[in-house]
Amino acid sequence: MSAPAPAPRGTALGPRIAHAWLPVLVSLAGFLGAWQAIVLAGDYPPFILPGPASVVARFVRAWADGTIAPHLATTLVEILLGFAVGGVVALLVGVLLARSRLAERLLSPYLVAAQATPVLALAPLIALWFGSGLLSKVIICALIVFFPVAVATMVGVRSVDPRLVEMARSFRATRWQLISKLEVPAALPAILGGMRVGVTLAVIGAIVGEWAGAERGLGVLINLARGSLFDIPLMFAALLTIALLGIVLYLVIVLIERRLVGVR
Amino acid sequence: MPTPRLPAPGSRPREIAALLVTVGLLAACTSGASAPPASSDLNVGPTIIPSGPPVATPSASPLKLVVGLGYIPSVQFAQFYLADRAGYYRDAGLEVELQNKIDPDLVTLLGQGAIDIGSADGTSVIPAVSQGIPIVYAATIYGTNPSIVFAKASSGIRTAADLKGRKVGIPGKYGSSWIMLQALLASVGLTPDDVELVLYPDFGQGVAVQEGAVDAATGFANNEPVQLELSGERAVVLHVDETTPLPGPGLVTGRQTLAAKADALRAFVAATLRAMDEIAADPQRGLDASVAAVPDLGQDPARQLAILKATIETWKNARTGAPFGAIDRTGWQASLEFMTSLGLVPNPVTVDQLVTEELLPR
Repeated sequence: MSAPAPAPRGTALGPRIAHAWLPVLVSLAGFLGAWQAIVLAGDYPPFILPGPASVVARFVRAWADGTIAPHLATTLVEILLGFAVGGVVALLVGVLLARSRLAERLLSPYLVAAQATPVLALAPLIALWFGSGLLSKVIICALIVFFPVAVATMVGVRSVDPRLVEMARSFRATRWQLISKLEVPAALPAILGGMRVGVTLAVIGAIVGEWAGAERGLGVLINLARGSLFDIPLMFAALLTIALLGIVLYLVIVLIERRLVGVR
Repeated sequence: MPTPRLPAPGSRPREIAALLVTVGLLAACTSGASAPPASSDLNVGPTIIPSGPPVATPSASPLKLVVGLGYIPSVQFAQFYLADRAGYYRDAGLEVELQNKIDPDLVTLLGQGAIDIGSADGTSVIPAVSQGIPIVYAATIYGTNPSIVFAKASSGIRTAADLKGRKVGIPGKYGSSWIMLQALLASVGLTPDDVELVLYPDFGQGVAVQEGAVDAATGFANNEPVQLELSGERAVVLHVDETTPLPGPGLVTGRQTLAAKADALRAFVAATLRAMDEIAADPQRGLDASVAAVPDLGQDPARQLAILKATIETWKNARTGAPFGAIDRTGWQASLEFMTSLGLVPNPVTVDQLVTEELLPR
């Protein structure tokens, strides 16, 4: 008869998971509890503020009967395309701004002005110019993603140790090699930090774009639930879906970041 | 899967503080703008005395009523302006505050009691009541549903059947115009899939018809077709009333408000209907009152008078010939059945739950 297997060294998996998730669960329970308490204390009817139980029930029903899925798919495509376009352009412009003071002086006022202009005011105009299809949503998402990623890239590239740049130059690195082998990799933590912000803003951009005119999307579902169906729990279910979508996309960037630059 | 990491994770006390702030904000948002009024809030002014007369006399302090018109100031609200300017509300012991603004949440605010009475669409009342919002439709303003499909006469469109395969401009797949379009198409065995829908979320479909970008569009009988005709182009208007008499905009109030202020609301409805009768007999009076209330309307009086005359036509119920305000229960029943078939009535409701004649003059 063999001896029983020794217990694994270090902390066991169960307590580790509990340690990681317990604060999240406690925080979630606190949030739901406070929400329910407000509903009870104010005696709010569901058309003013539905309780968490009715929102969760409506969320499950809307997923089961296929109400949410097509809207989510539309919004997700808008976000991903807008984030990709805005992110790539911002990366290029960010490097340009970091390397050229002249470019910074010329472009910065426009970039800051574009960022300061509420996208809510721009969205109807963009829908008017580019139609109420996918293109206008992608443009709105790209616009909103652009600024944080461009600024993060500029700051990241500028913060590269000048001695490393000097050393690369001494090895006769070309300009492209300097950017691709040194500056961008070194700036990656800052760039990914900008992308974390950008991807959550892209979610807002897609919803605002849909409010300016669309046939489908989570923004459309919110308007339908609120203004036509008067189904406020469904509106909250759509909001919950948007929140979860934002969290998932944020986590994806975090995972990419961990993969590329490690835990920060 | 890792938990979401914020750029600067806070310590536990900071997390708790953040949670408290969130809860506080939620409470502030809900209690400020959306809290249902306490019963005392409904009795604004000192004239509500349980054992006293139902309506204040002109000498008593007037009873305040907040009226939501749900749209920008327009000659289409001439009856409210006339009743206000001519003192009909004041004579009934009322101090009326007309809230002339676009308000997408008007139905919810009526159910909540934040607005006492307002002009809301009948097709909104059906899903709202079905979802448990305690409102009731109390007087018909538009006896003929003003939501229509219109086209240039030169388009060759004469009936709903002619829309098959045509480009039709719509603001979106929601609201009364979308329901009307589905009802109109269904009346000739068509569905929205049988037409080519073009979205105009900025409500630019009127211009699109004028410029020929679409063959027809949804609109309002007292707006786009009038503008089209004023531009020298003859318009064709397709009404849905003959097949599915969808309830048009009317005076809607909350059940709670109705219980607390029935007499004041009755006086308000009577004064408004009186103004409608007078404007129908003499549209110029309505225009004058509108210009006095909204001076900008005086810039093009001929256009405004044309819009007002078209509006008066939609106040009338050509099908029943009933007086202004009367509620067409048969039409409501037909609409309820149609909207149920569209899946817009998740919980069954009856016409009795949707309308009341309690506020109409006896």
